[in-house]
Amino acid sequence: MLSISCPNCGAEVQFRSPALPSRVCDYCRTILVRSGDGIEAVGKAAALPFDVSPIAIGTTGSFDPRRFEVIGRVRWGWEDGSWNEWLVLFDDGSDGWLAEAMGQFMLLRERPIGDITDPVFRLLIDGRTVLVGTELRIDGDPFTVADARPATCIASEGELPFTAPPGWSIYSVDFRSPTGRVASLQREATLSSFYDGRYVTLAELQVRGLRPIEGWRVPAFGG
Amino acid sequence: MATEAPPAPAAFPAPAPAVKALSCPSCGGTIELRAAGYTVTVACLYCGSLLDVANPDVRLITEYHEAAAELEIPLGTRGTLDGVEWEAIGYLRRSEGGSYPWEEYLLFNPYHAYRWLISNGRGWSFGEQLTRTPDWAHGLSLDGQRYEAFFADGVAQVDYVLGEFYWRVKAGEEVKTDDYVRPGWMLSREANEQEVSWSLSRWLEPKEIKAAFGVEPPRRSWPPLPHQPSPYRPALKRRAMLALAAVGFLILLALLFGGGSTLLRAELPIALDGVQRTATLGPVTVGRAYQMVAIEAEVPRLDNAWVDLDYSLVDRATQASWNAYDAAERYSGRDSDGAWSEGSRSATVKLAAVPAGTYDLVVDYQGNRWGGGSSGAEPESVRLEVRTGTVFFSNFLLAAILILLPLIFVIFRHMSFESARKGESDFAPVAEDDEED
Repeated sequence: MLSISCPNCGAEVQFRSPALPSRVCDYCRTILVRSGDGIEAVGKAAALPFDVSPIAIGTTGSFDPRRFEVIGRVRWGWEDGSWNEWLVLFDDGSDGWLAEAMGQFMLLRERPIGDITDPVFRLLIDGRTVLVGTELRIDGDPFTVADARPATCIASEGELPFTAPPGWSIYSVDFRSPTGRVASLQREATLSSFYDGRYVTLAELQVRGLRPIEGWRVPAFGG
Repeated sequence: MATEAPPAPAAFPAPAPAVKALSCPSCGGTIELRAAGYTVTVACLYCGSLLDVANPDVRLITEYHEAAAELEIPLGTRGTLDGVEWEAIGYLRRSEGGSYPWEEYLLFNPYHAYRWLISNGRGWSFGEQLTRTPDWAHGLSLDGQRYEAFFADGVAQVDYVLGEFYWRVKAGEEVKTDDYVRPGWMLSREANEQEVSWSLSRWLEPKEIKAAFGVEPPRRSWPPLPHQPSPYRPALKRRAMLALAAVGFLILLALLFGGGSTLLRAELPIALDGVQRTATLGPVTVGRAYQMVAIEAEVPRLDNAWVDLDYSLVDRATQASWNAYDAAERYSGRDSDGAWSEGSRSATVKLAAVPAGTYDLVVDYQGNRWGGGSSGAEPESVRLEVRTGTVFFSNFLLAAILILLPLIFVIFRHMSFESARKGESDFAPVAEDDEED
């Protein structure tokens, strides 16, 4: 854990892991990047538009069978809507993403892109686009392309493995399997990242520390 | 580390607001967005205009100036189903090209996401979009439950929208639909060029939807919904078990108390001469307080003739007698239709309740020839057998029918319910019926 003062506003900011070098100051929303022992301010994060997501920085839960805590978020927008990707830090120091779209949750972890040999997938990595409904195989399992669209970062908060400035554009492809497995490819220019996971429910994650929302009873998913 | 610091409730000093207020660019009305962050399209509750709220600036998609429809469940109403509180936030009126209209309410809870309330005016269902696809391994199955195909190749269109939605909904939007059912549940597939989605809905009992959203039971609930469970099914099971137990008990009774034994066998000489003969047979001894006594007569080679049989069972101690009359008669011949025969060479008569005692059986019998028939071989004897304890089969049958009657009634009601339910299906066996007619 590295604790230092924000070079912009002086508030205390913490970096939990060298693997997560980017951070948005909770107070002045300056995007900070850790480099060696120093801290650099690289820009200003946009204000997060209001939403009624039940997740917040500090929400905890468990998954397969590690405990995790939500420590960051990127909000992505596309032509017909927007979604949240919450960064979760597991108790073994690894991280993953709790993706939240249309009220449904998926938990994904990054995997080496070389793992996937399907030709459709290789074409995508090479910069081609793909049609929704295209079928391919990941680890031998059948998947279809559920979404393929340009997406833009609307805003971000907390700690992140990369800087996510507002207006940052990527090409995002979502894959779904009949069994509830999900995968995602995020491509920026020639650099692609691959994420693999499955649909989850807040109940099975036994989440605690859900964000209270006026007029709604917070369920006791975590017992 | 994530586990070191349990989340302090103090991290959330005040609850986040549940709604975001917008003003309609068309009519200026205030719209309360209930699923901010998810909602993409809003149909203004005041003027019906379609608004794009995917981005921070509200954009007018289609302007309307019409009073919003009055809904059975006004948007903003909350109700509890499956132990979770839901708020109605969107409303769709859909149809198949204008026919078979139905309504769908989009329900929302920020911690449990979305559900659907669906009604076609004859009942309600509670639906959820699936994140997995049913199996085709053994027919269509989900979670080990099999579903039968009910509707196929439907085209569902959106006729009217009100409230907020997490996708770009608009009137006229079409999807292809297929539906599969099992009692109480319906699996629905909706597909457009971009995506295929599956949803599972549960049939709601009228009292369940009334308790949740104060909706009055449908005025018209016939024919049943495709996945409406037959209300006769539980009674069917219960009554079948009951009838089975009762018939089993009856058989047990018959075995215990009706077990027969042969008391007497005799063979009496006979000729078809119209002369009355008498024979006294005995003793016939019966031991139970009361029992049924059956006397069976068989006349071998009897043809175109009859034998009158008068029985008297006379108590040796009291001379009290139990009398019965019987006849064995058999006729046969040949006419333009070929050979015919009627009657029987044997005759059985039953005395219902004979008290314990020692009896003589007095038989008066007379063989007669029927003039109309051709005479063949002549009978030479009447074989008699006296048995006790046989329960009247007709009584047994009557009892069994009485026991089975309620079951038969329920089976009939169940079958007419199921046939009305399946009659709505695209897979109803109508074509076969027509061929038979």
